[in-house]
Amino acid sequence: MQTTRRNLFKFLGGSAVGVMFTPAPWRLITDTALWSENWPGIPRPVRGEIKTRYTTCALCPAGCAVRARLVGEQPVALMGVPAHPLSLGALCPFGLTGHHLPYHPERLKQGPAHEAAGAVANAIAQCGPNERIAVLDLRPGRTASWTYRRAMAAVKNGVYLTAPRPLGGAAVNLAAARTVLSIGVPLLEGWGTPGNVLAARAGFRLIQAEPFESRTAALADLWLRINPGSGRSLALGLTAQLEGKAMPAQAAAETGLTESQIADLAADLAHNGPALVLAGEDVPEVAPLNRLTGAWGKALIARAEAPVPDSWKKAAPPAGLASVPDGSIRALLIDESVPGDYIPWNAIAPKLVPDNPVVVAFAWSRNGYGRHAQFTLPTAVYPEMTGDAPAATDSPAAAFRISTPLVPAPAGMVDPAAFIAGAAGMDASSALRERADAIHKTGRGTLFTCADAKSTPVKEVKPEDFWKALNEGGCWVDAAGKPSAPVEETGWQAKTPAPQEASDLPLLVALTDLPGATGLISPLMSKLYQESNLRLGPNRAALNPASAAACGVSEGAHAVLQTRLGERPIQVTVSASVPPGVVEVGASPEILDICGAFSRARVAQS
Amino acid sequence: MDRQFITRGVKRCSTGKFLLWLGPWAAMLLFGLYCAGLCLVKGLNQTNMDNRFVFGLWIFLDLTVIALGAGAFFTGFLVYILKVEELKSVINSAVVIGLVCYSGAVCILMVDVGQPLRAWFTFWYPNVHSMLTEVTFCISCYLMVLFIEYLPIALKNRKLREVPSFLVFEHEMHKVMYVLAGVGTFLSFFHQGSLGGLYGVLRGRPFAFREGLGIWPTTFFLFILSAAAVGPSFILLTTWMVEKIAGKRLVRPGTLQLLGRISGLLLAVYVLLKTVDTIVWINRTSPGSGFPAEQFYAWKPFGTWILFAEIGLFGIVPAIVMLTPKLRARTGWLVSAAAMASVGVALNRFVQTVQTLSVPTLSFDKFMTYSPSWQETGTFLAVVAYGVLVYSFSFRYFRVFPEERELAFQAAQTEEDPALLRI
Amino acid sequence: MIAANGNNKAKRYGMTIDVDRCTGCGACMVACAVENNVPPAHEGATDRKGITWIRVFKVDNGEDYPDKRTVFLPVLCQQCGEDTPCVHVCPQQAVDVDPATGIVGQMPERCLGCRYCMAACPYHARYFNWWDPEWPAGMEKTLNPDVAPRMRGVVEKCNFCHGRWHAAKQRAAAAGKKEIQPGDYVPACVEACPAAAIRFGDLNDPAAEVARGAKDPASFRLLEKLHTEPKIYYSSRRDWVRRIGDAPRPPMGKENPRG
Repeated sequence: MQTTRRNLFKFLGGSAVGVMFTPAPWRLITDTALWSENWPGIPRPVRGEIKTRYTTCALCPAGCAVRARLVGEQPVALMGVPAHPLSLGALCPFGLTGHHLPYHPERLKQGPAHEAAGAVANAIAQCGPNERIAVLDLRPGRTASWTYRRAMAAVKNGVYLTAPRPLGGAAVNLAAARTVLSIGVPLLEGWGTPGNVLAARAGFRLIQAEPFESRTAALADLWLRINPGSGRSLALGLTAQLEGKAMPAQAAAETGLTESQIADLAADLAHNGPALVLAGEDVPEVAPLNRLTGAWGKALIARAEAPVPDSWKKAAPPAGLASVPDGSIRALLIDESVPGDYIPWNAIAPKLVPDNPVVVAFAWSRNGYGRHAQFTLPTAVYPEMTGDAPAATDSPAAAFRISTPLVPAPAGMVDPAAFIAGAAGMDASSALRERADAIHKTGRGTLFTCADAKSTPVKEVKPEDFWKALNEGGCWVDAAGKPSAPVEETGWQAKTPAPQEASDLPLLVALTDLPGATGLISPLMSKLYQESNLRLGPNRAALNPASAAACGVSEGAHAVLQTRLGERPIQVTVSASVPPGVVEVGASPEILDICGAFSRARVAQS
Repeated sequence: MDRQFITRGVKRCSTGKFLLWLGPWAAMLLFGLYCAGLCLVKGLNQTNMDNRFVFGLWIFLDLTVIALGAGAFFTGFLVYILKVEELKSVINSAVVIGLVCYSGAVCILMVDVGQPLRAWFTFWYPNVHSMLTEVTFCISCYLMVLFIEYLPIALKNRKLREVPSFLVFEHEMHKVMYVLAGVGTFLSFFHQGSLGGLYGVLRGRPFAFREGLGIWPTTFFLFILSAAAVGPSFILLTTWMVEKIAGKRLVRPGTLQLLGRISGLLLAVYVLLKTVDTIVWINRTSPGSGFPAEQFYAWKPFGTWILFAEIGLFGIVPAIVMLTPKLRARTGWLVSAAAMASVGVALNRFVQTVQTLSVPTLSFDKFMTYSPSWQETGTFLAVVAYGVLVYSFSFRYFRVFPEERELAFQAAQTEEDPALLRI
Repeated sequence: MIAANGNNKAKRYGMTIDVDRCTGCGACMVACAVENNVPPAHEGATDRKGITWIRVFKVDNGEDYPDKRTVFLPVLCQQCGEDTPCVHVCPQQAVDVDPATGIVGQMPERCLGCRYCMAACPYHARYFNWWDPEWPAGMEKTLNPDVAPRMRGVVEKCNFCHGRWHAAKQRAAAAGKKEIQPGDYVPACVEACPAAAIRFGDLNDPAAEVARGAKDPASFRLLEKLHTEPKIYYSSRRDWVRRIGDAPRPPMGKENPRG
């Protein structure tokens, strides 16, 4: 064929028509769809080798076992460990998103560690005879807690403070309970070890006595609506009934129940025992009540801690804030590095010396004591930290498990145990190892290893292997305890009931639990409180529609919560499930600083 | 100064006055374009639509303007297929209105979808079971038909027809106008219907779901009928409004009455069929889905009043007015009835979109409320402004009302006898 | 779409959810978001503009104390088996039912964002990306590499963690097996539930727990009379809970309870 222009065009034209019969142009057209799939701003997940690591969650005292899925060295998902003897494979929403915490926007990245160390050293040196150096530990029982106790024993006038232990440090064995009467305890909302509570749930009848319908009350077999703050009266009434004595008149009057209701309840507890009665530290009458209901020794038992090295026994005893005279603390070091119960600042402030007290807070963010402390030092957040978890409230046996870091902590983080030990002139860097060795030496209990889900008696494990297993998410569980002897209730400090608050504040405050209150929560938790109505979000207050109208606020309005102690900006949620005359708020540190349970408040437009 | 572009024999205001008229509409258009731009750039979070109210102001108004713009196809059908010659005086206006209604609706749809750049996917991966595929195809084709129908109107401009090829083209177009009208009618039949079918097929929304003929739910046919009924009404309304604003006689008085009669007749048939459909729905379709129909109307504020308003007050009442010759002869009554008919159709579209989404389907759900954001309202106002601008431009420079010149001449002759003038 | 392999019987994956066990903790909601790279809420998001592929509702019986009873109900895509509403209405065929698994799959890459499927879904299980996804700085490192994040303007919904199904198929193939081992493919919400309230499996397999649960008289599905044949079976011993699957009852003068 001649190469003429005409032939060339004919060839090109023919090819064009021919290519339409091939998949090529059609594929190309569909491929242009790819351009509309991903814009530059959308992140692309990084690929890499998939690994598994085990650790222990540090977000609450339950210390659930965690199986982390890592891509390269980065955790991308956390799940429970199904065969684990204590947590039974469960993880709560906070535990499931723990791997996000290192990237939380409010996470502290730096702090004046040297200055703080200097100030503390000065304070120790200048501490007067009637003054104290104090450590406030928001989650006692850890190995770090022992370091603080030892440090405070080494420091002159050192004192180790904690919040009162629930139930005086006794342990709960839910599997042995046939009935549980919970006076305001959020049993099904993250109490104890969720996996364990839920596994035992079918075995007991739950009666929830509290003034407002919490999630636990909604899920309980019976919800008894008692007046706010009347838990003690209820306990007294039940005690009298079970002892065969006359019921005090105040029992019915203050709780709002009838005498026959209280009598029926007492009969229920007596006939369907062992009946466990749970309450907060504001109802000390619960201890003798548990003896009367047959719970003592079965569902409520004394439990020792995991063994510690003998050299540690020289340690300051745990004490409550009430035991410290006002105006006597020269330096206060607050370990907020693991989420724990927040003690309102107005309970702490009077205990400080009036002139230049030194307050150091070790925290993940500035939201807790960082608002009041002189020095806020950043600590490693949960997946970065090394620590340990003692057995939770609902573990009948002692336990020891280590939180191993899943990711390295950034530079500039302070280890509170190292800091406080250093201030006392001690070296506690190998405290965890020493404790593990002490536990291993006793030869008691079993070691559970996550990877193979096997429990091995400690006697058959070498010390090196024991330590290695603990660092890979392993868990030591003590042997079944001896029958318990009644334990003195140390640490029961009944809170003096708050004075009647001004009634010109029309609303009653109902605090909803906000676990992780002193820590950070993953931004993904917005699924639960912003993108659904499941929980009340932080900085949100819920009002009944009638109450909202009376306050002149509507859904989503920015308002102010005012109490006797102060005020705080909040955003309003209107919900018919909140009773009229009540304002429901999450118990964040900022809220707890201005109101306690059943305080009175007003909501005003801002 | 643009006198040379204006048709001979008709009066138009001065250029300055015209620009003054355009000014606020242009400003509204700019504002609306800004709103639309916000929605395109920042995303649909600029609207108040949400996961429960996935269709809001835009879809409701889209359906309404498409129904109101149905005058274009229906008048075309009447003029070119059924040879109703009296309506030739309004066919151009109907085409312009149809064009602005449909092009405006399509523009809003491009803002309403989350991924406008993927609009071609419907043509490339069509789903033959989906009513929305049908709507997309038919509306796109019909928009092209409308553009083609609009061309002759534009090309007849006094200046443009000086170009010989334009004149020839326009003449040739006119010869095949009936083909276009036929195609337009066919396409409109299907897309008006499938717009109704959009909601009628939703078995997950028993409030809107209807049984039907074959694959088409009854709402398919009811939408066609209501669009055909309201089309002439809207043309009547707009013609009257333009006459008022321009201060001129544009059509013979009988034309408006003819439009009214056609509209009234179709509206009456529609109301009858709609009533039957509603009764069937109340007694069979809705209970068959497990949803007793009364419970839909127990959600305040949408009580049964809305049903009676749609079928009664804005349905049968304007139909009766437009069918009664004595009332039809009085412009006030006629125009009011046309307006009420338009409102009735808008109410029907509202019920199908907004009310359907507001009533809960799950037993633990609440009644949902929605009100549009200013960005949504602004975007719609852009379409209104665009419509007014295009219509004003067309009215000034093109022979939108062919009888205007003749009527103006007659009016000039009878200027000494004002009694013969009737506005 | 994956054609059903002639050797394997087609599966119909489904769930049974024991709502008597659900405590409303929300672990399923959060685990789902972690697995599927769902972003945290944008600042302006509410419960009507957020993305929660699975969402737990607190439902009560409308009475006051002491007769008030409450249940927590997780709602996710019901994976309708019959006349799947969303499949029929998508103009781009961005939704399909996989005949090999029965899973209703959504292709965000083809979605135009017209939201017609969302209007069609009676369970409100579909979610629109009103905003572009945004994670706090550094948190995008924690994204799951098996799932592509979506951009704004597209619809997404639960797909029974289809990425995990693919991974399970690959594991089975690597082990030389034709079928996924039961228990090897489990969606994130099932794995995460601390109360073990959600069970997952093949409804076509008579030995599977879900198949037995589906036949339990105490089980119910949502809006059964619509004949969408959902594959999520809820179960409860309580009569009033079983009636939750019926049509809504408007309040007669009383404020409707929070849902």
